[in-house]
Amino acid sequence: MSIIEVNHVSKEYRLGTLTSLKDSAKNMVRRLRKQPVQKRIPFKALDDINFTITEGEVVGIIGNNGAGKSTLLKLLAHVTTPTTGNIAVHGKVAPLIEVGAGLVPDLTGRENVYLNATILGISRADIARKFDDIVSFSELEDFIDTPIKRYSSGMKIRLAFSIATSVDAEVLIIDEVLAVGDLAFQRKCFDRMEELIKGRGSTVLIVSHNIRQIERMCSRVLLLDHGEVAADGLPLDIADLFYRRSNEKINANHKKSLQGKVHKYSSGEIELLSVELLNEQGQPTDSLPSGGTLRVRVKFNVNQTLQRPEIVVGTHTTDFFYLSASSTALIEDRPDLEVGTHEVEYIVPSFPLVAGTYCVRFAIFDQHQRKVFTGETLKIFTILPTSMEIRDAPMRRLYLPTQWRLDGVPHSSPMPAPAEAAGS
Amino acid sequence: MIRIAKNLYAYRELVAELTRKDITVRYKQAYLGIAWAVLRPLALMLIFTLVKSFVGIDSGTIPYPILTFAALMPWVFFQDATTEGIESVVKNSSLVRKIYFPREIFPLTAVTTKLVEFGISSFILAALMVWYQMAPTVHILWVPLIILYTLLVSLTIALMGAAVNVSYRDVGAALPILLSLLMYASPVIYPLQLVKDKLVIQQAAGEWSDLLYTIYTLNPLAGIIDSFQNVVLRGLPPDFTSMLPGMVLTAILLPLSYRFFKWEEAYFADVI
Repeated sequence: MSIIEVNHVSKEYRLGTLTSLKDSAKNMVRRLRKQPVQKRIPFKALDDINFTITEGEVVGIIGNNGAGKSTLLKLLAHVTTPTTGNIAVHGKVAPLIEVGAGLVPDLTGRENVYLNATILGISRADIARKFDDIVSFSELEDFIDTPIKRYSSGMKIRLAFSIATSVDAEVLIIDEVLAVGDLAFQRKCFDRMEELIKGRGSTVLIVSHNIRQIERMCSRVLLLDHGEVAADGLPLDIADLFYRRSNEKINANHKKSLQGKVHKYSSGEIELLSVELLNEQGQPTDSLPSGGTLRVRVKFNVNQTLQRPEIVVGTHTTDFFYLSASSTALIEDRPDLEVGTHEVEYIVPSFPLVAGTYCVRFAIFDQHQRKVFTGETLKIFTILPTSMEIRDAPMRRLYLPTQWRLDGVPHSSPMPAPAEAAGS
Repeated sequence: MIRIAKNLYAYRELVAELTRKDITVRYKQAYLGIAWAVLRPLALMLIFTLVKSFVGIDSGTIPYPILTFAALMPWVFFQDATTEGIESVVKNSSLVRKIYFPREIFPLTAVTTKLVEFGISSFILAALMVWYQMAPTVHILWVPLIILYTLLVSLTIALMGAAVNVSYRDVGAALPILLSLLMYASPVIYPLQLVKDKLVIQQAAGEWSDLLYTIYTLNPLAGIIDSFQNVVLRGLPPDFTSMLPGMVLTAILLPLSYRFFKWEEAYFADVI
């Protein structure tokens, strides 16, 4: 049975400042005279949203800043009303939209528990019953009769979270409140959330930027983009799509910021023609998958014959941290470079870096180690995430084939097929 | 009507809790605490008594200080309830933006908070009555009804005003001026009897006198203050002729004001 129905919901805000009484009066006169009225530009925070949620579903809502997530939650919590369309919520809603709304600094912790819980719709009898539980969860037993203006911010948040999660409601709406307090308390909050979700079987809507958390907790995920539902489906699929999209955006930003940062030095003996990245078929490309073959082709003109020069090709990150470099100095029988056009290819069979934006650098030295040409950021390329990327550990730079022995049983970490460059 | 009452009854604990909060917060770090609630009518009473000794106002058989105190009690209740009621939604903007409950809870809480302070003032009134050796009569049982009526008058203005104040804070700024004007148009400093004598008995404004008196009593406070003095001090029932115009006006305006508030309510979170 559906517990939340959202039909063709749009929400518009008007941009700009609030109209003054004078402007409103002027507009009223214009309206009476049937003259055109001065209007402010409307901004669509949500644009024709449709979905239904059935009882017991745990739905994550993800999207970039300004995608309309919070507006949607506010509409569901009945804090504001849609401009058009309608929303039906069958059941009691507990909005944890921002924990701590309504805490009063002058009141003691105890008074605030009663006040805030009542605001959230818990009856007095229930609060009395749950009071000890709320206080012990917040770990504030010693401070409960102190005005909360003397609390640290962490203490306030702990108290607010404890109160908020003691609500019994059919629908829980949670906005980015999972991670509060220090690490130990965050852990507790997280467990409490899971208990609320799994234990009570209530319907839950969560907004978070923590995609991994969403992927783990939810049974369904909605991806919002510029006020529209861009995707709706299984957590892994949607989270992956979102991850990919964000990644593309990050890469685009990186590329943009790097555009003016090409560092080049040339003694004049060399003239760089092109630096290209080639895919397996030998076609120029801008990206390769994690662990794929890196193949760089550099073309240049030589104006003056160079004897046994040393050629260096390497890669660096967007903040100029040198990642790899190889030199032809190791090749004993390397040829001289005659006057004319030359082509050099640098091939790394398996380039083991995680998804991100990287750059190519290129340098030539003569046999006496004199700089003939050096250049950085000559080619910007991206490494695409694999389809399982969001499940993998987040803090890493390298993408390495891994083997595991779990209780003596060998498991090879799935080296998933590098996902095709989705959407690009 | 019944539906509205039922709905509000469901939120009685919230109103009680918010009222408790308002009172606690207001007097928490004040040494005199809730005593401040009665100091204002007391101080005004002393000032008016002082003024009266220069100007000369006929207070009938009742000593002037207690007569004016009995006028100030409903007046201060009305004035504070209205002012706080109008400011109530804006003051609670953090709640308005985050949690839903019927928004009329805010003006309602502001008004009930003042009811508590009114209750405290009544101890002073009782003390004054002992001092002047005045015994209450059975008519004092009218007090709750008169106060309920005052509360409805406050709500009529507060609901409308609070809704407008969300968009235009001008209301909050203009209100103190309007209320202080209204005080002189109400029988606070002088008893209603003086107005009645001039207009109804002496017909001081000729053929316009009766109309003027009706206009004067359109102000619900005229009837309220006079009746409060009647039932508490004079041992008389309320004077319904002086109450009727104000009651009719309130009966018309309160539903409109409530309707307007509920209509605007949907946009509070967006514009506040």
